[in-house]
Amino acid sequence: MQPPTGHQHPLTHMIAEINDIFAKIGFEFAEGPEAELEKYNFDRVNVPKDHPSRDMQDTFWFKAKDVSEPTVLRTHTSPVQARVLEGTQPPIKIIVPGKVFRNETTDATHEAQFYQLEGLYVDKGVSLGHLKGTLEYFFSEFFSGKTEVRFRPSFFPFVEPGIEVDMKLLEGDSKLAGKWIEVMGAGMVHPNLLEVAGIDSTQYSGFAFGMGIDRLGVMKYGVDDVRDYYTGDLRFVNQF
Amino acid sequence: MKVVHSWLKEYVGEKLPDEQAVEDLLNFHAFEIDGAEQVEGETVIDVDVLPNRSSDCLCHRGIARELATILDVQMANDPLAQVPALKTTDVIGVSIEDTNACPRFTASLITDIEVKESPDWLQKRLKALGQRPINNIVDATNYVMYAIGQPMHAYDADLFPKVDGKWQFDVRYAKAGETVSLLAEGGKDEDRVIELDGSELLIVDASSDTPISLAGVKGGRYAGVHAESKNIIIEAAHFHPTLTRKTARRLGIVIDASKRFENEPSRELPPYGQAEIIALIADIAGGNCEGVLDEYVEKIENPEVTVTLKKVNALLGLQLDLTQVADIIKRTGATVVVNADAESVVAQGPFERTDLHIEEDFIEEVGRLYGLDKIVSVVPDATNSIKTINARHYYSEKIRQCLLDLGFSEVVTTSFHKKGKIQLQNSLASDKSYVRGNLSKNLHQVLDANFSHTDMLGLRDVRVFEIGTVFSKSETAITEHLSLALGVRTKGNGFTAPDERILVAACDALEETLSTSLAWEKEKGVAELNLSQVVDTLPAPTQYDAFPQKNAVQYKTVSQYPAISRDIALWVSQGVQADEVMAVLNESAGDLRYRTDIFDEFTKDGKTSYAFRLVFQATDRTLTDDEVAGIMEAVYQVVRENNWEVR
Repeated sequence: MQPPTGHQHPLTHMIAEINDIFAKIGFEFAEGPEAELEKYNFDRVNVPKDHPSRDMQDTFWFKAKDVSEPTVLRTHTSPVQARVLEGTQPPIKIIVPGKVFRNETTDATHEAQFYQLEGLYVDKGVSLGHLKGTLEYFFSEFFSGKTEVRFRPSFFPFVEPGIEVDMKLLEGDSKLAGKWIEVMGAGMVHPNLLEVAGIDSTQYSGFAFGMGIDRLGVMKYGVDDVRDYYTGDLRFVNQF
Repeated sequence: MKVVHSWLKEYVGEKLPDEQAVEDLLNFHAFEIDGAEQVEGETVIDVDVLPNRSSDCLCHRGIARELATILDVQMANDPLAQVPALKTTDVIGVSIEDTNACPRFTASLITDIEVKESPDWLQKRLKALGQRPINNIVDATNYVMYAIGQPMHAYDADLFPKVDGKWQFDVRYAKAGETVSLLAEGGKDEDRVIELDGSELLIVDASSDTPISLAGVKGGRYAGVHAESKNIIIEAAHFHPTLTRKTARRLGIVIDASKRFENEPSRELPPYGQAEIIALIADIAGGNCEGVLDEYVEKIENPEVTVTLKKVNALLGLQLDLTQVADIIKRTGATVVVNADAESVVAQGPFERTDLHIEEDFIEEVGRLYGLDKIVSVVPDATNSIKTINARHYYSEKIRQCLLDLGFSEVVTTSFHKKGKIQLQNSLASDKSYVRGNLSKNLHQVLDANFSHTDMLGLRDVRVFEIGTVFSKSETAITEHLSLALGVRTKGNGFTAPDERILVAACDALEETLSTSLAWEKEKGVAELNLSQVVDTLPAPTQYDAFPQKNAVQYKTVSQYPAISRDIALWVSQGVQADEVMAVLNESAGDLRYRTDIFDEFTKDGKTSYAFRLVFQATDRTLTDDEVAGIMEAVYQVVRENNWEVR
């Protein structure tokens, strides 16, 4: 007897969908290592030398005897921004879906490992208006309904201005519809990131955003415990 | 940062709107609101001050200034409006070992005070912030910190011996092995004696070289203010943020004072703290201020920054004119000079805004004050095509499709192992202290764990795969590659020969899909290979396959209670469809039925035999055999009523 068709994991399925949506507006799929140099994970994305996030409490560090340069399990996908900026001249239009790690206590909304989606667009004349339009396009496609986004002030070391993004699904009968939901951090790429990569920040500007893919699944499918993504339990996977 | 609405109003004035409007203004122009509550008859708003504004906004004056800026009104009463004129004194001295660690130290002498309870209004404000009033002097130091953000500390001058007629402070690094006794932390009676390693900065009584507090972190009991104190010295200083943070973190002492020093408030602030507290103490404790020592060695000024109109509009996507930009920046309290070119301004933030360093910092101010809601979306260009196809993603998707078609489901498992070759330097949990060197180990566990759920999954065997990063070590670095592993389990008691047959067939199918030969490492029903290496040998893809759209999924929480399965086989007249029979069974089985699968079917002599497996599970309890037997009895009853024959 032929076995029933298997089920794709919701995280990789969402990544494929995200790639499909962004490829249509010219964003390429980029990657970087999960075992990342401190230089890229922190220094090159403008995290101050003495920033608390570098502390042992938040970051997994590899042992000094195993590495010639300080190395961490990347805490975000932003180091890929730094790597791509370093080796490419604008225009740069990428998305970076990937696994990231935080050394913190886990609960239904936190895991020590999770997937992030980074987006970066650097060119002449890129503004917060482009960020807004791009995100409205993405969410409308991803949540299958017209979606509006709004910005609120925020702070992240790798952007200036820094933005918190809320979204509202305007139509449909999804539980998400009709209310503002905080979804991600974003902003205009900090000039330090451009300059250190040899890109003239008086000529070029860019936007960057980052959000949890696990969280997108919570919103899209109603997953109620993010730890379930990583259990290998088919009672979870086979619902998708 | 908790703020009291009426306190904000004292600074902003009558134009401050009600609580709800204040929350909205802050939320859309400055900071998120964590909540609001009524305490001691006061409205208290919890503001989530951003890291870059923790230098000036961890106090009422900071939030009030922010609101006045957003509202574009003049503050009715601004404690930082004028540089305070303080009487100087030479009866207090200080010697600072490292002026980078302590660039400013001020101390005032106040005589003839009376220690007593604080007045009601002050007690009420402190209680609203969750603080316990102690006495008027200690309360005054706390009040000033919450008012303008400058931490303060009070000493009893009569318990503090003089040297040559002078109260002499030393600010120096600790000696290794030296101890300092700190005031008891909340809820504890005993003072905490701490042994120091030499990295900490201390405030020391120079008369006996006795450490009296950990600079910026916490004060000691030494020369503390008590009920009979008459003459007091009040310290207000500036300590290096990183030094403060490191000491506070290492010793696990994070209190309101250290939190403020960690965030680098302005070096200009200490005299304002003195002016505030001198006035407050005169009001609530009487006495006279004899004068203030102000040792200010390392003065810094906020930079002058050129802000060009073109860049403002380019980054924000707005069409402002230079007058608008200049006016908005001025609202922050910055000085703004319009350049002769009429295309740019030179801006310098007010002294308390130590976060305004570069053009983009000012552009952020313009954006949020003008209103981020006024930014207009630019619709992305959908004709923009991509040049590079990511081969690893492309081929991973191909592999997924092939394996899904063969009945394999995809898992994403933990990157951490309990044992392994590469141990992390730090990990919160002992079962997460190594990073994985392969996927197989996790897949074996996944196969074991899932086999007991096959009935619930409607499966006869378990087939899984994973594509993920695994780590290894070179001489000098951690290296990594993408790995692919797949596994099969057909029997509950571990690996058997049929597992191998299914696995080999799947491996062969993948070779066909990728048109290449693959080198697998196989062990007990699990096969793994280095996918990065394989992809490197495959032709570069030229376009992604169409994305397979799926129907909307609504996830249901997996019940942690065990499932019970019951099989039923029955004869029906030829022509009666399985779906029809299943629908009848399902209806009679009721809500505790989790799923039904058909696992056998044949027709003989005008009759068809169907065999079904019904799986039962509750979301709130473990089902008993008796309970399920009762349900099955109802099912048999319905079967008989339909004149079907149970086999």
